[in-house]
Amino acid sequence: MNLNKIFARPMIFSLCILLYACEDFVEVDPPAHKLVNQQVFNNDEMAESALQGIYNELFRIGNFSNGGASSVTALAGLSAHQITAYDQSDLEYLEFEENEILPNNPPNLSLWNSAYKIIYQVNALLEGMESSTQITASLQERIEGEARFIRAFTYFYLVNLYGEVPLALTTDYRENATLIREPAADIYDQVLLDLQLAAEVLPEEYRDGERIYVNKYVAMAFLARVHIYLENWEQAEYYSTQVINQSGIYSLLSDLDAVFLKNSTEAIWQLSPAGRGSATSNTNEGYLFISSFPVFTLTDNVPENFTTNDLRYIHWIGYDEEREAYYPFKYKDPNSSNNITEYSMVLRLAEQYFIRAEAHVKSQNISGAIADINHIRSRAGIDLINSNSNITEEELIDLLMEERQRELFTEWGHRWFDLIRFNKASTILGANNANWESTDVRFPIPEQERIKNPNLGQNPGY
Amino acid sequence: MKNNYTCCPWAVPLFLLSCFLGLIQVQARTETKENRFQQLITGTVNDQQGLPLPGVNIIIKGSRQGAMTNLEGKYSINAAIGDTLSYSFIGYTTKILVVTKDFNPDIQLQQNTDALSEVVINAGYYTTTERERTGNIAKVTAEEIELQPLVSPLQTLQGRMAGVEISPGNDLPGSAPTIRIRGQNSLRAEGNYPLYIIDGMPLNSSPLESNSNLSFTGIDPLSTLNVSSIESIEVLKDADATAIYGSRGANGVILITTKQGQSEKTEVQVQVYSGFSEVPNRIDLLHTEQYLQIRRRAFENDGTEPTQNNAYDLLVWDQDRDTDWQEEILGGNAAITNLNLTVTGGNQTTRYRLNGGFREQGTVYPGDANYQKATGGLSLNHHSKDQKFKLQTAINYGLDNNKIVGNRSLVSSIFNLAPNAPAIFNEDGSLHWEEWIETGIDNPFNGYFNTSKIEASNLISNLSLSYELLKGFRLKTNLGYTNYNSEEIFKIPKRSYNPLYSEFLEAQSIHLLQKRNSWIVEPQLEYTTQLDKLQIESLIGSTFQENQSRITEFTATGYVSESLIGNIAAAESLSNGRRQSTTYKYNALFARIGLNWDHKYLLNLTGRRDGSSRFGPGKRFANFGAIGAAWIFTEEGFMDHLDFLSFGKLRASYGSTGNDQIGDYGYLDAYEATPGAGGLYPVALANPDYSWEINKKLEAALQLGFLNERLNLNISWYRNRSSNQLVGLPLPGVTGFNSVQANLPATVENRGWELEFTSLNFQKKDFSWRTSVNLTFPENELVSYPSLEESPYANTYRIGEPLNIALLYQYEGINPETGFYEVADINGDGRFDYEDQVVVQNQNRQYYGGIQNQFTYKNFSLQFLWQFVKQEGRLTLFNTGSLGNSRAVVAEALTDNSTYQSISNSSESRRAYNYASASSLGYTDASFLRLKTLALNYNLPSAPLQKIGMRGAKLFLTGQNLFTFTDYQGMDPEVTNGTGASFSNLRTYSLGIQLNF
Repeated sequence: MNLNKIFARPMIFSLCILLYACEDFVEVDPPAHKLVNQQVFNNDEMAESALQGIYNELFRIGNFSNGGASSVTALAGLSAHQITAYDQSDLEYLEFEENEILPNNPPNLSLWNSAYKIIYQVNALLEGMESSTQITASLQERIEGEARFIRAFTYFYLVNLYGEVPLALTTDYRENATLIREPAADIYDQVLLDLQLAAEVLPEEYRDGERIYVNKYVAMAFLARVHIYLENWEQAEYYSTQVINQSGIYSLLSDLDAVFLKNSTEAIWQLSPAGRGSATSNTNEGYLFISSFPVFTLTDNVPENFTTNDLRYIHWIGYDEEREAYYPFKYKDPNSSNNITEYSMVLRLAEQYFIRAEAHVKSQNISGAIADINHIRSRAGIDLINSNSNITEEELIDLLMEERQRELFTEWGHRWFDLIRFNKASTILGANNANWESTDVRFPIPEQERIKNPNLGQNPGY
Repeated sequence: MKNNYTCCPWAVPLFLLSCFLGLIQVQARTETKENRFQQLITGTVNDQQGLPLPGVNIIIKGSRQGAMTNLEGKYSINAAIGDTLSYSFIGYTTKILVVTKDFNPDIQLQQNTDALSEVVINAGYYTTTERERTGNIAKVTAEEIELQPLVSPLQTLQGRMAGVEISPGNDLPGSAPTIRIRGQNSLRAEGNYPLYIIDGMPLNSSPLESNSNLSFTGIDPLSTLNVSSIESIEVLKDADATAIYGSRGANGVILITTKQGQSEKTEVQVQVYSGFSEVPNRIDLLHTEQYLQIRRRAFENDGTEPTQNNAYDLLVWDQDRDTDWQEEILGGNAAITNLNLTVTGGNQTTRYRLNGGFREQGTVYPGDANYQKATGGLSLNHHSKDQKFKLQTAINYGLDNNKIVGNRSLVSSIFNLAPNAPAIFNEDGSLHWEEWIETGIDNPFNGYFNTSKIEASNLISNLSLSYELLKGFRLKTNLGYTNYNSEEIFKIPKRSYNPLYSEFLEAQSIHLLQKRNSWIVEPQLEYTTQLDKLQIESLIGSTFQENQSRITEFTATGYVSESLIGNIAAAESLSNGRRQSTTYKYNALFARIGLNWDHKYLLNLTGRRDGSSRFGPGKRFANFGAIGAAWIFTEEGFMDHLDFLSFGKLRASYGSTGNDQIGDYGYLDAYEATPGAGGLYPVALANPDYSWEINKKLEAALQLGFLNERLNLNISWYRNRSSNQLVGLPLPGVTGFNSVQANLPATVENRGWELEFTSLNFQKKDFSWRTSVNLTFPENELVSYPSLEESPYANTYRIGEPLNIALLYQYEGINPETGFYEVADINGDGRFDYEDQVVVQNQNRQYYGGIQNQFTYKNFSLQFLWQFVKQEGRLTLFNTGSLGNSRAVVAEALTDNSTYQSISNSSESRRAYNYASASSLGYTDASFLRLKTLALNYNLPSAPLQKIGMRGAKLFLTGQNLFTFTDYQGMDPEVTNGTGASFSNLRTYSLGIQLNF
């Protein structure tokens, strides 16, 4: 019997199956719904899409910038006692109203996380373009300008809400996970660097005529804001003037009901509800303030400040008979689908007049300041400030603050930041809140963040 | 990059193994040639029924000569007169005969009455017996599960197996149960699924997604199986049993075998049962009088005026209305009807089984939710006359049609609802709004008319072919294909919501389509031989598997009328689109050598080399293996005098298995489309370096049988260590994400004792009584975690504690000044946060088990199973004074010496309550003893039935979750992670009949 013959077959067979078990079988191609990094940055359209992704995400659920319940508009509005949660059993908002925010407060965490997520997206986009040679140079410059503007914009709110914050400029999580908090001055340096670049490289026109895309004047308007916060009066005056002078693009609307419509001529930068990615087309502010079950209503502080002939009182404030409460009525669309009529306002011309007025006051140009404030007052249909009156600088600043409150209430936490930078928070907010402490001007660094990164310190008072 | 060299290290040893096995055979043959003075004995070995027995070992005692019967039971052996021949075969009593002049070579072997050898155990790629297994494999058979009125096959195992914890997802049919075999190994919840194998075909065990009320644990991929078509379920637990599944065996393996045709005669079985389910328990909540008394007291105590905003229950709502919301919402009965029809038959070489089943089940909630399941199965096995060729196929197909009413978690809201709240429904069944709108709040049941309809179909097919190439060599190939399709339509009509909204709302439908298919090819080569007393079983094989899954989801909006919802052509717009396809490929080599010396010493070696597409290049392959050994010491001569001890075995195993349950493509740095149109964004941080989790399992066990195995005791000790933990490593939000996939230098240990005891207490002609008990003492511990303090888990885990812990505030009692609960401010910073949560609460079971008794008396049999668990669980709902109902016990707060905090509605009191709920005060004993199943059967006398052409008939009555003894005051002590209002076990009664023709 030929034994070899008998055993050859199974042995050969077993060898065959063994040798086939190789690595190439378990190699799989990336799926259609995932684009590997290199694919994204190997042509112009894809790089544009990555930028559009950032704009979309600015409006996403839970984002600091979407005007929703955990946005800067809502949380800083609560902290400044401008709005109040309709459901008073909801502790997470009550903590802001009472200026007793706990470090584990969920909206606070959501605000923080969403801001850094936007920053990550910008950093990833910048890194992706840097490593690519396939993108048209001029386009790359424009995308970089828009992206860096958004990063600066985000850091501006972080530094003003939390004080010292970590400065993440790369996508390397190993590094970012252990960052320490950087001094506010260093954050501002980066903000200015990004904004200046944006102002240099961006075109003057709005892309597709839509005021939702950042152009040169958006960058300048925001530079004006940053400089006024940094008390660089000259630069603030320069940039705000640059914007105000573009009368072909920007003008104050006499119809107050039209100010918050999409692409209104008063708008410098708006965010589109389309970024939300659902059929709902109203702004989040509209839903929060004027839907049948509003999340927030106005505190009495806001309407008390108006005279009843003020057009803003008439057009921008409503009264809910059933709930016996005032509500902000700047946005008119509470809930709709498909037809976008309003964009969420981020920057508008009225603020630029205030910025220039403030810069004028600080450089002793009292008449210039009064003229700028009067622009706003005349549009509101109220008495103008007499430019001949012997008004002191201090009085004028108080007046300016009041006017800013009347004009900019429930927009992007303006009142909260004004109270802090004019050093009025303790006097004004402390007056009707026995629990007020001077350290309440900063939100707490979220507890969950400190658990995950022990290098992060906490703000005093928490 | 291709990396072919990875295969080579395996090719060489396995090639050598093949040669080695070949040589053994060569040696055996040459020896037989040396004996020239012997006569050739040729004969047949049959069983009791006269059927030929292939594979019987014939050995001449005292020599190394042997032979084996062929497929017709024939054998031939050279033996001299006076030689002693031993005929042995698994499951049969060994026959020893001396060769005489008129020796009759046709032998009949008696089936072994030894119960342990009769229990054949499926170990996946091979089979063994209860007597000779070297690994830990638990088994339940059709007898115990087929009549249970359940949808989920795994739920039938509850309480029946040591070391196996099963918790139902929720009370709705189709929800995926959670199953843990010997505890939690992975830090990730989704990394703890066991491997499901159905008739040799692996099935993706991760639950399917849903937008419905099933979303909590997902949809059970096994819900389309027919419980009454299952022949057996085996659970592989230790390294010896699971290492042959390599990277997929870390969490244990569940083998489901479906029934096959048994007899040649054509037989028909009809089985029908119907019954109903109900919610078995209620929480004792406050009634209106006391509730309002407490609420009024709150404002008195606070010295504040109730307003319409914070006290609508006092100022607006009817003060006399007293609704028992639990009765209103949970008081219904869900009818169940189940029908099965089976035909079996065949001839000598071919058997078939054809089965069809239908089930319909209603709901305990208001509304017209229901669940329908239709199943069909065909199994066929065939062998050639010479038994060389064998074919076996099983095709199981199931259709689920699951209609679910309502939005998520509506049910839990009824426990907080004030007893004097306005009606939820109008008399015509629509949602009531007027009184709610008056109050300025929403009807808590808004969303009730949202419905989900889930249609799923699942095909699981398998074909196994084998051919005996040469004596002892069998080539086998296992082929399988599965195809799962489901479509869920979640409809959101306007009438589900407040009419004040409706002008702004659009009717919507959310569509979710899921598809999973997979194929597998597993060529294998088996070689079995007997060398004197040494029996060798060996196996090598390889696996090629590909799974594809696809999810498509979108929302359609803007239907003009409710009846059009779901008809996407009538929708104004589609949005929220998502389409994800994933491919998973898997490749492996596996081998096994089982050595059995005289049915006394057993050694089992298994190994596998696995490659998985879930890892980055260079990280895809890894090796796993195990060794198992057993010594049946009662076979030794020195044990013969111990008459009462009829069986004794010591068993041990050690080995490694892996876990590749982690999302696909995690190693890619990739962008996806944003929900908003036109955008792309990075969706995860990429880490190309991550690799397998390794689970090393050690086990030692003692198996004893007394009094001819009337009493059996198994004691197992195990220790499984899971290291190189593959987790979404939590990251601070500053990194842009909350986690990244990475291997963590942490070790999780599961160890424990398992006891199984069975006893035939009594056996007489008309009456018998069997008892079986299982008991598990599990322990779970995070053994090591280098620099845990600095890690992101610093405040989630504690070294030396189980994974499933809650970190709680230290409860200090009631502050005599404020009258409110107080928890310790450990670091004295005046705030209460994670730094003060220092009390470790173990949320695992301390021990658990089941006791089953089976009585038979004449034609009656009674079977019942008690399940018991010792544990602690969370229970709150003891709020005193703020809006919303609480448990009735808080009425005590109205008295002077109350253990509850003083009644108040202030935010200070609410905070105190929240902190106390997150302290040890929120935990209580949640141990329970539950009559899990009870079945009473009556077999009709066969004589009269036979006259009308029937072979048999059986009436049966079953009950599930009939009684629960517990001190826990929540709904269900099995679900204790929330406030205590969750439940997942319904009480079910059913009555049925089974007819055999």
